[in-house]
Order: sequence, then C-alpha cells, then structure tokens
Amino acid sequence: MTPGRCPFSVASPIVLASGPAGFGTELAERTDLSAIGALTTKTVTPQPREGNPQPRLVDCPCGMINSIGLENPGFDVFVERCLPDVLSLPTRHIISVAAERPEELARMVGALSAIEGIDAIEINLSCPNVDAVVIGSDRALVGRFTEAARGATERPLLIKLPGDAGHVVASAEAALDAGADGLTLINSIRGLRIDHRVGRPMLHRETGGLSGPAILPIALARVFEARKAFPDALIVGTGGVTDLESAIEMMAAGADLVGVGYGMMANPQLPTQLARRLEAWLAERRLDSVKEVIGVAHRGGFDVP
Amino acid sequence: MKTRTKKTLPTARNGPVFSVPNAVLVDRSSGEGYARVTLAGIHGAPAARPGQFLMIRRLGSAALPRAFSVLRAESDRVELFIKLDGLLRELLGAVPLGTRFELRGPYGVPYEDRIDPNGRYVLVGGGSGAAPLLFLHERRPDLVEDVVLGFRHEGAQWLLRGYELVVESADGRRAHDRLADVWRQGLGIIACGPEPMLRAITSRYGDQPRVYVSLEARLGCGIGSCLGCSIPTPAGTRRICKDGPLFAASELPWLR
Repeated sequence: MTPGRCPFSVASPIVLASGPAGFGTELAERTDLSAIGALTTKTVTPQPREGNPQPRLVDCPCGMINSIGLENPGFDVFVERCLPDVLSLPTRHIISVAAERPEELARMVGALSAIEGIDAIEINLSCPNVDAVVIGSDRALVGRFTEAARGATERPLLIKLPGDAGHVVASAEAALDAGADGLTLINSIRGLRIDHRVGRPMLHRETGGLSGPAILPIALARVFEARKAFPDALIVGTGGVTDLESAIEMMAAGADLVGVGYGMMANPQLPTQLARRLEAWLAERRLDSVKEVIGVAHRGGFDVP
Repeated sequence: MKTRTKKTLPTARNGPVFSVPNAVLVDRSSGEGYARVTLAGIHGAPAARPGQFLMIRRLGSAALPRAFSVLRAESDRVELFIKLDGLLRELLGAVPLGTRFELRGPYGVPYEDRIDPNGRYVLVGGGSGAAPLLFLHERRPDLVEDVVLGFRHEGAQWLLRGYELVVESADGRRAHDRLADVWRQGLGIIACGPEPMLRAITSRYGDQPRVYVSLEARLGCGIGSCLGCSIPTPAGTRRICKDGPLFAASELPWLR
C-alpha cells in the first residue's frame, strides 16, 4: 500500500520510530519486520557518542523518561559496520541523522544518498537529551539545516521536530519551504522526576525525554495542527501509540505513517501486532484504502451507520 | 586480569525465547519486605538459566515491564525472589493469586557462559540479588564453594530456608564482612546485590582473577536495542541486558 503522501509503498502504515529499536538487528531476531512499514534507525551523529551515564531511564505515570543521549558509534563506523545489516532487514529503511552544524549534516546526508536501499532520511532536529540547542525550536535554524540536507540528496527527506519547544507549525513551515518532503512529529517531551526520599533528580542528567501514552494527546495535537496547515506534506505521527485505537487516532489526525517507539520498547512484538490489527480493522470496516482514515478528523469523521 | 576484548564477550543469543501473553500468579510466600512468587503457564520455562531475567507486566498494561532474575524454572513454572518495594509490591506483592501477567524472556547471558568454568566460587548476594545465585547453586553445585547472603533484616530468613543469612540489624555485619571470613586465595567470587555491596567487593577483590558482579539498571526493552542500560567499560559501552548482566570486575573500573 501507499498511505497518503508516502513516496514509496509500504507493508503497513505502522513504522518503527527512531530510538528504541536501535539498528533493528535485535528486533529482527524476535519479530517479523516484513509486516511493518519501515524501520527508522537510532539517530547517528558525525562523531561517536558514548551517551549519558546511568541512570538513563525512569518510570512515569503512563510512560517513561529516557536520557540515552544519542549513544551511537558515529557516522563512519555506522556506514561501514551497521548499515549493511540495516539494509538487509526486510522492511523499508529510514536512516536518522543529527548534527550540530549544517555542513556536517550535509556530509552525512550526501554520503547516505550514494547508498542503494535507503528509502528516506530523517533529520533529528529535536533530541531533548544533548547539550546543543534544540534546533527544531528555531525556525531560522530549521531552515538552514533542512536546506543543507536538501542540497545533498534527492531522497525523501523527513524533518523530526520537537512537540514542546517553539512553534511547531512555524518550524514545520521552515522545513517544508526549505525543501523537506515531510515531518516527523513529535520527539519525546522534556521531563523531570525527582526522588522524593532524597530530593534529587532520578536521572543522572536530570531532565530527559518523556515518551509513552502520556504524550499521545500532545503528539495528536501537533500532527492535527500540521496537517491542517500543510495538506500536502508527508507526516509521520509518533508519540504514545501503544494500541490499535491510538494508531487510528494518529492517522485520523493526519499522519500518513504512524511511528511506534515506547510501545516497542515495552513489547518488541507490538509493531508487528499493530500492523496486523490495523489491516484486520480496515478489512472489517470495509475501508477501501487507508487513505480514507488518514486525516479523516479534518473531514468530519467516518460515515458511521 | 587481562581486559577482555569485544570479540571474546559472549552476548545473549537468540536462544529459546518465550513470550507468554498470560502467565498466572499461582503462589506467593511473603516475608518481611521480600516474597517468593511463582508464575505458571509458561511454555518452555526450563530454558531459563541462572543469571537470566524475565520482563514482566500486568496483562493489558501499557507500562514498561520490569526485569526479574529467575530463582527457579521448571515444568511450566518460574519462581522469583523479589523485594517488596514500591512498584514491585504493587506489581507482584499486593495482587491476588490468579492475576495474569505478560512475560517475556529469558534474556541476558547465563552466568555459566560468562565465568571461568574451571573456578570455584563464593556466591555473594544482597537482598533480592540472592535469586540468580541460588538458581546457580541449584543448577551447578560443583562450581560453588560457599554462599553468603546479606539482608538488612531477618524477615527473609524463612523464605530462604537452608541458608544462614547475614543479618545487618542483628550484629551489624554485612555480606562482604562474611565474605572476608570465607574467601581464600584461588577462589572466585560472583556477586549480585545493591551497588554499595558490589563496590565494597570490587574495591577489595577486584584485582583477583575470577571476580564477577551482576549489574542492575532500569531496563527498557531487555533485548539490547534501546541502550537504556548501557554502561562504560574500558573496551567501550556495554549493555547490561544483552552483554551482561554479569561482568568481570576488571571491566568495571568505575565500580571501585
């Protein structure tokens, strides 16, 4: 199928969001990746990053906060040692990259552009766990980084924006004006927990990124606003989807593809299960195409008999 | 001890892995602050080996599951030894028998695949860290010289009949004090418990050969992909869930 504005066909609108699935190899041992639409890799940066010290995860009501800190082997090692395995996985491949300077971003995107089998490149402008400014909250920076990436590739380009910093529609407009094909909305939301017994933050790095069902309504609002403003943009809706109902909500708000992150961390089988449940639901509702669901909340909803 | 390189490190393989949508809580004995709980309906349970863990959450929950070391695994049952603290009390300690759980695993490298098989070991457990060590003692008594189990209070004693616990509230002694009495040159150590205990052991015995500690962190996925449990080692970052949970003391210079 080719859901909405997705530039390539996919097995399902359910895709793995960047992060908890890593580079997909562990997951591939345990679940059928051919049933899901795409794997988005964990974000890769120009230089290797060790990530943040422990503790990196803390529980929250309806979710968790992580402060992984973009741990990754660095772009060159990734391309040489990890990317071949990623590209052998039986699904579409979206490679997520982040950089602190537009030139570094262009170098990575250009190098990826020369490699067969990469279906899209996602630019992470919104990691809440590194010291750098959240680029995605500044529309001028969004424009500059997107322009740099666009100049280096003709592959489909997604810009991943924060759900809580700056004006998302303004940032989205800057990304699309600079040539992005689509938006991934949203990253985790900056959050904090304090151990009440000792009065100190529970994560080593103090704040981290909140994900899980707690952020579903925020992600839905950002996707809904972006779809209203940009009817033609590809949108990957990500944030708190853990069951069929929330996946349908995300599509109804306007997402062409639905990213699963936290839900996969809690249950590695979930993305495959969701893809199958969604397929069965579409058949049961006698919906001819997934396109009838995408953005339906902007068109007065389903015809309920 | 020579630092192990990445190539020699075993990681958890895609061995027998079960994903059980509805395991049932069938038995629970609680002591002061601790409990032994048995979950049944787990096809393939005996595949779990000492040191491995399971990810468990309430059936139908969207919460992140919690990791539990296995105390015993046979037939279709898994037994756990848990601390009744906060979320764990809520999850397994305060629910009625018959409650259903989602369970997946076993994950992690079995202790036997990480340690020198020619050594004899003193097993040192603190609190619920006793679980994997008692499982190892049951399965591989030939590897075990002695078992030292430390607890703050004596409430867990009757849950662990057959073992003489070191009880801090009784005489101020802790597991690593007792370890000093029983350890002698040539014996290895396998320790699992709270970080201060592990720190005391690696500080004193970390330069000896065959000293291993089992680490704990809030795990995310349990399968090695989310990097929520990464720790630094001289040979690069390692994942507690997939490369561990057992590490040689020489791999953890920061734990001294």
